[in-house]
Amino acid sequence: MKALLATVISLGLTTVVIGNAYYQKKQFYPSIVYLTNSNPSMAVMYLQAFILVLLVGKLLRKIFFGQLRPAEFEHLIERSWYAITETCLAFTVFRDDFNPKFIALFTLLLFLKAFHWLAEDRVDYMERSPVIGLLFHVRILTLLMLLAHADSYFIHHAYQFTASKGPSVQLVFGFEYSILIIMIVNILIKYVLHAIDSRWEAPWESKAAVLLYTELAINFLKVLLYIGFVAVMVRIYTLPLFAFRPMYETMRSFKKAYNDVVLSRRAIRNMNTLYPDATPAELAAADNECIICREEMHTGAKKLPCNHIFHAACLRLWFQRQQTCPTCRLNVLRAPAPEAGAAGPAPAPGVGGHAPHAPHAAPTPPPPGPPPPPFPNMPPPPPMMAWGMPPPPPPRPASLASLTTAELQRMEGNERRNIEARLQLLREIQSMLDASVLLMQQYSTVVANLPQNNATVSTQTETRIEEVNTTSTLPTTSQVKTEPDVVPTTSSYKQPSPIPSTSKSNDTPSPVQPDTTTPIDTNRDKTDVDAADELRRRRLQKFAMDK
Amino acid sequence: MAGSALRRLMAEYKQLTLNPPEGIIAGPINEENFFEWEALITGPEGTCFEGGIFPAKLVFPPDYPLSPPKMQFICEMFHPNIYSDGRVCISILHAPGDDPMGYESSAERWSPVQSVEKILLSVVSMLAEPNDESGANVDAAKMWREDRDQFNKIAERLVRKTLGLPPP
Repeated sequence: MKALLATVISLGLTTVVIGNAYYQKKQFYPSIVYLTNSNPSMAVMYLQAFILVLLVGKLLRKIFFGQLRPAEFEHLIERSWYAITETCLAFTVFRDDFNPKFIALFTLLLFLKAFHWLAEDRVDYMERSPVIGLLFHVRILTLLMLLAHADSYFIHHAYQFTASKGPSVQLVFGFEYSILIIMIVNILIKYVLHAIDSRWEAPWESKAAVLLYTELAINFLKVLLYIGFVAVMVRIYTLPLFAFRPMYETMRSFKKAYNDVVLSRRAIRNMNTLYPDATPAELAAADNECIICREEMHTGAKKLPCNHIFHAACLRLWFQRQQTCPTCRLNVLRAPAPEAGAAGPAPAPGVGGHAPHAPHAAPTPPPPGPPPPPFPNMPPPPPMMAWGMPPPPPPRPASLASLTTAELQRMEGNERRNIEARLQLLREIQSMLDASVLLMQQYSTVVANLPQNNATVSTQTETRIEEVNTTSTLPTTSQVKTEPDVVPTTSSYKQPSPIPSTSKSNDTPSPVQPDTTTPIDTNRDKTDVDAADELRRRRLQKFAMDK
Repeated sequence: MAGSALRRLMAEYKQLTLNPPEGIIAGPINEENFFEWEALITGPEGTCFEGGIFPAKLVFPPDYPLSPPKMQFICEMFHPNIYSDGRVCISILHAPGDDPMGYESSAERWSPVQSVEKILLSVVSMLAEPNDESGANVDAAKMWREDRDQFNKIAERLVRKTLGLPPP
């Protein structure tokens, strides 16, 4: 109603103005000259043009979209305000070229932009509507084709103009239409994906991933364009303030898309490789319903480390947003994956006692007894620091050989506390070994720079490992026995004293974090663990023989 | 094949019609569009909203249940956690990324485990026990804290209004 009133008023005003001009001048050309020279008449003419544009817009909207949904309309209005503000900002940069043609070009740009937004919203809506008729496809495809043609025409025009007459406001148009054409490509891809999806009977699982990658690529292109545009504008004119808000938003969404891709890839890889498929028994126990899609789970269900079960496909979709368990919000990227258990401190023979939750639980169940050193997965620096100083004197009997068997057994202890203490110590050995591998890596890089020292490296490695073992295992009574056979070897490799070298490598900050999940380190750990196992076995044998 | 969002919404609708929770009715406004629901919530007993029947609209995103729906009361409301335009501000309706109030831990946020039923039950308990720290409606939060009688009076007026009764 309001629109009709405005149309009628502006039409009436225009008639009056033109009639007045013609009445005064009686001829065509003089009246035109009169009109263009009189500011009030020009204002009326501008108003009329504006109303006409709106009417044409309405008509096209009716043709291509029919009735707009309220959400679409709100979205359109909101974006229009931003666009109008930014256009006004752009006017300030190009105030020298300010003329009716210039305004007309900007109005056209806004007009086309509005249709791009509407098309985008409409295509996004495809996913939600249960029925999509033929009319919808015809409308969207024609609109997209028309918009693409208009965009490419204006880009071409801007290019020609800039090439022949040097930089001008056409730079802005060229850039804006390039952004718009990228948008068209994006909409088209989405349209194709949704259309394929709606034709398939089964849900298309990888669609979300494809959409994510498209978004990443499109945003990357846009970011490049914006950066190029700002650079050009700064060189030729001034800072293009009007491009900053969209540029910032594009960069933010690019960063978000990038993060999403990286994190979700990691989570999905974890899911595919680490988490076990749920067995039928587990499915039955868990009600057989995937809580994400509320549908039954038959196959392709995965169990997270927290024992919650979902469809693998549903999990994949969720991991593209959040890398947490939907039920308990366990962070699957930070959670100790079963893999860590395999590469980690498991090999200690006594760990069998913890078996009940070994496969999924954290690799280090909280040790209740002795003071827990803070190492979940990676050996922290403290043990290394300790090497710089003389090893702490552990309380030990003068000679174990002098003790009776009963005394020895008492020392060994059979209570849970003793076993825990032993396990704890074994773990410490593990972390110290890890640390020593690290040190050795640093050491060998140092040595690699001094070729003449190559010969000593291997012997040193052995000294180091054995020394670590002896110092750290001393408290465990079961292993103290072996000391005599280790000490001689240490003393026989007396060449470079290990203490100075340690302090040396302590001075250089460690560049590599001992990350047990990277494959190389895992291998190294393995070999070290093997060596330690070998040593341990020898000691146990010896101990048994002595007994 | 319609999207997974549509199927899940249909499943939830079925569930809600088969086992309706007490004091709550919800369903799509129009069976053509499952992404806009209307819900009727009865004011919880023993609170100042007792006896009222409050209509609200739920709008679901295309990627539901990965993103939360939006909920808005379509009657006049005066409550610390409801904006003056009727939008409901409770933590389970917020995606883990955004934090409009800056006080919620991500553990209380939306996750696909939530459902329409859980949202509506949370809203019922929100009506019973406003959280005056979140402050979607600062005036209401202030009145709830400082002038409970006045708050109860306004609530009673609103309850009568939803029932089509004249103000007392």
